[in-house]
Amino acid sequence: MQIDWSQGFPVMAGPFQMGHAEQSPETVGYWEGIRAGELRIKRCAGCGKLHHPRRILCMECGSEAFDWVTCEGAGTVYTFSTVYRAPVREFDHDIPYTVGVIELREGVFVFSRILPPEGGEVSIGARVSLTFRECGSHGMLPAFQIIG
Amino acid sequence: MTAARYTPNSVAIVGLGTRIVTRDDPKITSLQLQLYAIRDAIAAAGIDRHQIGGVFTCRSPMGFTVPQWNMRIVQELKIVPNLTTEVTAHGAGVLSQLSYAAMAVNAGVIDYAICSSGCTGPLWTDMVRVNASIESDLQFEAPYGPTTPSLYAQWGQRYMYEFGVKPEDLAIIAVEARRWACEHPKAAMRRKGQITVADVLASKMLASPIRMLDSSAWFPGGFGTAVVITRAENARPEQKPIFIAGFGGGATHEWLTERLSLSGVEPAMTPNLTTTGAKIAAQHAYAMAGLGPQDMDMVETSVPFTFANMMMIEDLGFAKKGEGRDFVRAGGISFDDGLPFNTNGGYLSFGQAPHGMHMAVEAIEQLRGEAQGKQVKGARHALCHFHGGPLATHAVMILSGGQA
Repeated sequence: MQIDWSQGFPVMAGPFQMGHAEQSPETVGYWEGIRAGELRIKRCAGCGKLHHPRRILCMECGSEAFDWVTCEGAGTVYTFSTVYRAPVREFDHDIPYTVGVIELREGVFVFSRILPPEGGEVSIGARVSLTFRECGSHGMLPAFQIIG
Repeated sequence: MTAARYTPNSVAIVGLGTRIVTRDDPKITSLQLQLYAIRDAIAAAGIDRHQIGGVFTCRSPMGFTVPQWNMRIVQELKIVPNLTTEVTAHGAGVLSQLSYAAMAVNAGVIDYAICSSGCTGPLWTDMVRVNASIESDLQFEAPYGPTTPSLYAQWGQRYMYEFGVKPEDLAIIAVEARRWACEHPKAAMRRKGQITVADVLASKMLASPIRMLDSSAWFPGGFGTAVVITRAENARPEQKPIFIAGFGGGATHEWLTERLSLSGVEPAMTPNLTTTGAKIAAQHAYAMAGLGPQDMDMVETSVPFTFANMMMIEDLGFAKKGEGRDFVRAGGISFDDGLPFNTNGGYLSFGQAPHGMHMAVEAIEQLRGEAQGKQVKGARHALCHFHGGPLATHAVMILSGGQA
């Protein structure tokens, strides 16, 4: 499903709309990357430090200039939780599913879906590789497959 | 760090008002709830409302979301405060509004402040679903479908992994909390009776590793609280004053993932999900009060899961990091003879009343010798810890009473 991120989409909590998950000027490159089938993070143009895609200032050097860097797509599971009761109905059919934090090889932490291996379980320290997964009404998003 | 210019116990809580509404009562709004509590707190303090120079509130309640909640309160009180603001640091702000009030009266800017909190959200909205969307990053986390328990569980999973904590170690915390709750007439889970470690381990999995009985119970309604604060010299015995010995805060992030890019500063010398801003908050509060963990006669914390309670036992100074498990296993928070810990049953069994100050109310009542549940004998110092967001913001206040 194609999402026009410039329009955003409503995040619902039951009948209540809590806000819009939409790209903002500093994250456009992240969402463009997703449309291109890539996971992009930020690199400070001042000092080279790699950052989460939402970073606005590099607090290491004070720079506000960043370049987008395409991740290799490799990382490990830093932590996770398997959800047995979904927050909104659109995720009900995914139950149970695992959300967690991936430590990318680049040293940046990202939140994502984690897909267990066939017949296996998710564990901390497991190696993962980037894939894409349909998440509710939000379209294809970066996710991570356990590779052993 | 510069030492805080605050004399311990120089500020007193001289009026307490509470209002509880449950599903059995006629529905009222959060505005009604807080105003009833405020009226009662002013009456308990025995002051004229025009003596109040500061009106502090928690953030806008869930189910009654308006900009500038404090102004809704002010316009109902028909007073002209010198200082007024919402204190918005998630659940920590509910307690830290007392810190701002204490600083203002201590500085002589105002003589009296009112602080109010409470929310009837559970009567009006689906709190489980609403809460999930205010606890996560709308752009980078919420699209993956995390629930509130699953966001906290990220900490719990990592904590258990790093320190070898087992589900049965955590279950002890739920069992002890329920024992306290069974003594308290207002506790939500009192009617369910005692539980065992086996009950906790057999309860439904919500978001691994968190099971139903590892999790807080929503208080079935609203718990409104207001307190009147003034300089200790203004306190009169009939007000049954409780004194503010010290306070501190520690806020580290808004979204869970961002916590991992905090670095080079305590509590994150290296990226971790095992130490929280509560450690910093407690250090500030102990230093200000000139007291330490060994002086505390009870601990009232607002964390909503068993693993987080174990982390707080460590961050608040009662065990070294990674040794909370041994402390709990050895009966460290035993209802019978351990450190009095969440003496109304806490979030796990008294219930989580959103924006509620019920854990501070419990400390005040205990220090006055007016506990509604089991009274902690001879208590002089109570540590209150409020928190909000996914272990994001923390406030600690040390209250003194009794023989202090």
